[in-house]
Amino acid sequence: MAQPRKQNEALYFMRRNAKLQIGVAIVFLFIILALVGPLITKYQPRDYVAPGAQPPSSEFWFGTTSFGEDVFTQFVYGLRSTFLVGMVGGGLGTLIGILIGFTAGYRGGIADEVLNMLTNIVLVVPSLVVLLIVAAYLEVRGLVFESVYIALFSWPWAARAIRAQTFSLRSRDFVDLGRLSGMKPLKIIFTEIAPNMMSYLLLTFILQFGGAILTAATLDFIGLGPTEGMSLGLMMNNATTYSAIMLHMWWWFIPPGLAIMAIVGSLYITNVGLDEVFNPKLREM
Amino acid sequence: MRRVVSILLVLALLTGVLGVTSVAAAATTEFPRSQTLYTGGKQWGPPSNWNPFMTGNYATGTIGLCYETLFLYDPLTAKFTPWLASSGKWTNSTTYRLVLRPGLTWSDGKALTVDDVKFTIELGKKTTLNFSSLWSWLTSITKVNSTTLDFKFKTALYQEWDNYLYNLPIVPQHIWGTKSLTDVATGANDKPVGSGAYLYNTYDQTKMVWEKNVNWWATKALKLSVAPKYIIDLVNTSNENSLGLVLQGQEDLNNNYLPGISTLLTGGYALHTYYPSAPYNIAANTAWLDINLQKKPMSDLAFRKALAYGINVADIVSRDYNNMVQASDPTGLLPMWNKYVDQAVVKKLGITYNPAKAKQVLAAAGYKDVNHDGYVENKDGTKIALKLIVPNGWSDWMAAAQMISKSAKTVGIKIVASYPDFNGYLDARLKGTFDLAIDNQANVSNSPWTYYHFIFYDQLKDIPTTQGGNYGRYNNKTAFALVTQLDKTKTTDLAAMKAVISKLQTIQLTDLPMIPLWYNGMWAQMSTTYWTNWPSSVAGKNHNLPVTWNGYWNMTAILMLTQLKAVKQP
Amino acid sequence: MRRYFGRKLLIYAITFILAVTVDWAIPRFMPGNPVEILIARAGLKAESAKLIYSYYMKAFGLNVPIWRQYLNFWIALFHGDLGVSLWLFPQPVMKIIKQAVPYDILLLVPAILLSWLAGNKFGAYAARSKWLDNTISPLAYILQATPYMWLGMLLAWLCGVRLHLLPFSGAYSNAMMPSFSWSFVWSLLQHWILPFASLFIVQFGGWAIGMRNMIIYELEADYSHYLEALGAPRKLVRSYAFHNALLPQITGLALQLGAIVGGALATEIVFSYPGIGFLILQAIQNHDYFLLQGSCLFIIIGVLLANFLIDLAYVLVDPRTRVGMQGEE
Repeated sequence: MAQPRKQNEALYFMRRNAKLQIGVAIVFLFIILALVGPLITKYQPRDYVAPGAQPPSSEFWFGTTSFGEDVFTQFVYGLRSTFLVGMVGGGLGTLIGILIGFTAGYRGGIADEVLNMLTNIVLVVPSLVVLLIVAAYLEVRGLVFESVYIALFSWPWAARAIRAQTFSLRSRDFVDLGRLSGMKPLKIIFTEIAPNMMSYLLLTFILQFGGAILTAATLDFIGLGPTEGMSLGLMMNNATTYSAIMLHMWWWFIPPGLAIMAIVGSLYITNVGLDEVFNPKLREM
Repeated sequence: MRRVVSILLVLALLTGVLGVTSVAAAATTEFPRSQTLYTGGKQWGPPSNWNPFMTGNYATGTIGLCYETLFLYDPLTAKFTPWLASSGKWTNSTTYRLVLRPGLTWSDGKALTVDDVKFTIELGKKTTLNFSSLWSWLTSITKVNSTTLDFKFKTALYQEWDNYLYNLPIVPQHIWGTKSLTDVATGANDKPVGSGAYLYNTYDQTKMVWEKNVNWWATKALKLSVAPKYIIDLVNTSNENSLGLVLQGQEDLNNNYLPGISTLLTGGYALHTYYPSAPYNIAANTAWLDINLQKKPMSDLAFRKALAYGINVADIVSRDYNNMVQASDPTGLLPMWNKYVDQAVVKKLGITYNPAKAKQVLAAAGYKDVNHDGYVENKDGTKIALKLIVPNGWSDWMAAAQMISKSAKTVGIKIVASYPDFNGYLDARLKGTFDLAIDNQANVSNSPWTYYHFIFYDQLKDIPTTQGGNYGRYNNKTAFALVTQLDKTKTTDLAAMKAVISKLQTIQLTDLPMIPLWYNGMWAQMSTTYWTNWPSSVAGKNHNLPVTWNGYWNMTAILMLTQLKAVKQP
Repeated sequence: MRRYFGRKLLIYAITFILAVTVDWAIPRFMPGNPVEILIARAGLKAESAKLIYSYYMKAFGLNVPIWRQYLNFWIALFHGDLGVSLWLFPQPVMKIIKQAVPYDILLLVPAILLSWLAGNKFGAYAARSKWLDNTISPLAYILQATPYMWLGMLLAWLCGVRLHLLPFSGAYSNAMMPSFSWSFVWSLLQHWILPFASLFIVQFGGWAIGMRNMIIYELEADYSHYLEALGAPRKLVRSYAFHNALLPQITGLALQLGAIVGGALATEIVFSYPGIGFLILQAIQNHDYFLLQGSCLFIIIGVLLANFLIDLAYVLVDPRTRVGMQGEE
C-alpha cells in the first residue's frame, strides 16, 4: 500500500536533485558516444590511416598515435569495452554480493559467521597483486575473463553493505507481519524486503560499476588486460610505451584518463544524489 | 592522534632514507658530467652479476670493458684485429697456433699469460659453461712456450672456432682457480678483476659504474686510450624514460629501439645516428617468419610459396618502423654478407611481394574459396585459419603481425595475429605447437654459417632444450650435411664457402622452410651534447659499432670509446 | 577479548595459507618453464644450451616431485628465503625486495598518513555548511574517481616535460650514488614529490568524502541532538562528532590498504620509482616468476600484518569494543 506514494515521492525529488541530474547526464553522454561513436567513425581502432603523431585536426578529432592510428576511433571503441567491463564486472560483483550479503543477513547464525569470514578474507587480500599473479601466466585473456576477475574481488564491498541493510530490514514490523500471516519466506523476500532494498541495490551497483572501470583501467595500464581489442587503459599503456608524454602527444593520453575520471566521478556524484533522494535525512544538508 | 601520526611519519622518513643510503657506500658519490659517458639500452634490470660466462645475466660491459677476448672482429670489414692475442693461424688441418701478446696485465697488476688462457678454456671442461660444447671437438691445449699455445682438434670446425676467438673472455687463473666450480658456473663474481680498459667502480639499482683503467695494456701496446673517465650504464626502466634521457642529453648513447627517432633527428635535439638517413642503423639480425611444416597446409610447398608472395614487407618497413629497418632480401642474409649471396640463384628462385602471383599459385595448387568467405580452404575442404604468434607487449612486432594478417587477407589466406605472453610464445615455438611465428634469433656474427645452422638446425628432437633454430622442423639431410661441410670450410677459402652457401641457398629458396622478413637494426641513438666524434657511415669518420649489447664491445665498440671527444662546455 | 582476537587470527591464518598456496601454485600451471626463458635470453650455442638446461633445472629444484616442491617452498618461507631470482640470477629474491622496500615506505607512509589527516580535516569542513559541501564534495568525488596512473602522467607531463620544474623518473639523480650528503637528499626529495603528490591527491579525495559522510551521520545521532538541546556550542558538538567519526575511518584505512597498494604500483610504473610495485612490473616483463611470487607474497603478508596492527589499534582507541567484549565474556 505504501508503494505508489513512495515512488511518486522518489521521482519528485529525483527531478529536483542537481547532483543526480548532472551525474546521469554526463554518464549518458558517454554511453551515447560509446554506442554511436563506432558507427560514425569509418576506421577500425588498429587501422593505419594517417602519418603518425598528428595533433587533433578537423579530420582526426583526437589526432593520431605514433603509428598513425586514429585516436578518436580507439577512444570510442575503448569506451565500449570500458562500459562492458563496468557492466559485467560490476553487475556480477553486485550479484555475488547480493547473494552472499543477503544470505548472511537473513539467515544469521552459522551461515552469517562463515560468510563473514569469507568476506573478510577476500577483503584483506590486495586484489591487484593476486590478479597480477594469475593474469601474468595466462596465454590469452579476454574481456569477459577480466570482468569476472574484477567481480571476484570486488563483491565483498557489496556484500557487507547488503548484509547490513538486510539485518535492519529483517526485524521490521511488516516483515514480522508477513511471517505471522503465514507467507512463505521466498514470498516475503520478494514482496516485502526486496522493494525496500531496491534503492540500496541500485546504489551498490553504481559503486561496483565505477570501481570495476577503475580496476580494469589499472590492469590494462599495467599490460594485464585483454590481449585483443581496445580499451581506455590500453590506450594509456600504449601512450606510455610510445613516449607520448615525452613527445608532447597530449591528445593520446589525456582523453582516456579524462573520460574515466568523468564517468566514474559522475557515477559517484549520481550515487550521492540518489542517496539524498532515497534518504530523507540527507536532504536537509 | 596528531602525535602518533607525526611519530609514524618521522619513523617512515628515517627508515626510508636510511634504507636508501644503506646500499654499499661508494668511494665516489658524484660523477663529473664532462668526464662521464652515459649509456643505456642493454640492461633491463639492476646489475646483479659480473660472471662473463653467464651470457644474458652479466652487467653491461662485463665482457668488453672488464674482461677481454683474444681478437676483435669487425663485421663491416670482416676483419679480425689481434687483441689479447698477437696472432693466430692453422699450422695444419687440425692444429691452431695462438701467439699471445707480451706485456699484458690484469687490473690488479699481475701478468696475463698463456697460462690464464689455457686455464680459462679448460674451465669449460671442468664444469658446464656457455662454451663447454667446444670440448666435444677440441682435444687438448698445449703450451709450446711462454707466449704460444697449440690447440689440437678432433675435427676442425673453422667457422665456429673463429666465433670463439672474439667471444671467449679470458679470466685470471690466480682468482678463478680458488673458486669452487659452482661459483665459476653460477656465481655472481662481484668486484670483477679483468684486463680491460675499465675497472669496476660501483653500482646501484639504477646503474653500473665503470672507471677508466689507467694501466690498460693497450695504451702502450696499441697507443689506444679511452676518452671517458667513467662509463655509467643506466638500467632501462622503459622506452619512454630512455627517450626522455636522450633528448635531454642525460644519456649519451642509447641502444633501445626508440620509435619516433627518425622524426626527432630534425628536431634540434643534438641527436646522431650511424646513417644520417634511413635506415639510420646498421642491420643486426633478421626477423624471420617461422612456419610449422608439421601442420597442414604449411607442409605443402605451394602454400608456403603463396604465403611468401603474399606478405607485404614494404608496408611493415615504412608504416610500422618508419623506415628504421630494411626489407630483407630473399635469402635473409644480412647486408654485410652480400658477397655470399648467389645473385643468380636469387634471380631464378627468389620470391618477393606479388599478390597476383600468390593467388595464381594458390589456385594452381588446388586451394579454392569454397564457401565464399574471402579465404581459401584446404584441399579437403576444411577451413584454414593460421595463428601468427608474437610476444605480448612487443608492440612493433604486434603491429607487424597485424600487417601480415592484412596483406595475407588480400590474397585469400586467413592469418590471425595473436599475442600470447612471452613464455607461451616461447613454449609454442620450442615445442612446435605454433602455426606461424616471428623470431629474430639469428644475429650478426663472423660467418653466415651461424645463419644456416639456425635455418637448418639438425637436432630436431633437442629443439625444446637447445633452442637451436629450425622451429618449423624442416628435415633435409642434404641441407644438414652441407651446413656441417660449411663449418669445416676454411674461413680464408672464400670460393669454397660461396660454393657451399650457393647450394644451401638453392635448397632454402626452393623449399622455403622459413621466410625472411626484414632486418632489425643495431638501434643506436647518440647525443652530441657532451661527446662527439661518434661512429658514422660518413667517409672519414670512424666506422665502429656504437652498440653496448652483449658481444658488441669485442666487435669494435670498444674502439669507439677511443675515438670519442669531449665537447667543451660553456 | 579472546574471542575477538581468536576470530581475527583465524581469518588471517586462513588467508595466509591460501595466499601462499595460490602464489606457489600458479607458476606451476603456466606453459613452459622458467629455465627455457633463461636460455632464450642467454642466446647460447645450441650444444651448450643442452648442458646448461639440466644444470639449471637442478639448481632451481625443478627436478623433484610437485609435493616436494610445495613443501620446500613452505620450509624456505619460514627461513625468510623467497628463492632465487631468474632475471637477476643469482641474487636472492629477498635481497632484491629489501632494496626496494625503503622506497615504498618513503612513498606510501607519508602519502597515506598525510592524505588521511588532510582528508579528514577537509571532510569535516565540508560537513559544516551547505556551501562548503557543494564546493568541496564534488571536487573530492572527482579526485577519488581519478585513475592514479593518469594523474601521474598528467603531473609528469605538466611539471616535468612542459615546465621542466621537477624530474619525473627514478628515485635520485643518475649522477649520484646514495650518501649522507645534502645534495643527495635534495635530489631524493625532488624525485619524490611528484609520485607522492599523485598518491596523496587521489587518496585525499576518498578520505574527505568518507569523513564528510561519517560526520553527517554522527550529527544526526541522538547524542548530538541531545547536546544541542542542552545548549552546547556547535563547536563542541562537532568535535564529538569528529572524534566518533574517526573510528570508522581507522577501519576504513585497513580496508583500503589493498587498493592503495594497487595505486602505488601504477604510480611507480609511471615515474619509474624503484619500489616493490615497479619491481613486480619488471618481474612480469622479464618473466621472473620467482621474483613475482616473492614480491606478491611479501605484499600480501605486509597487508595482513598492517590489518592486524590496525585491528589492535582500533581496540585500544574505541572503548566500545572493549566494553562489548567484556559483555561477551
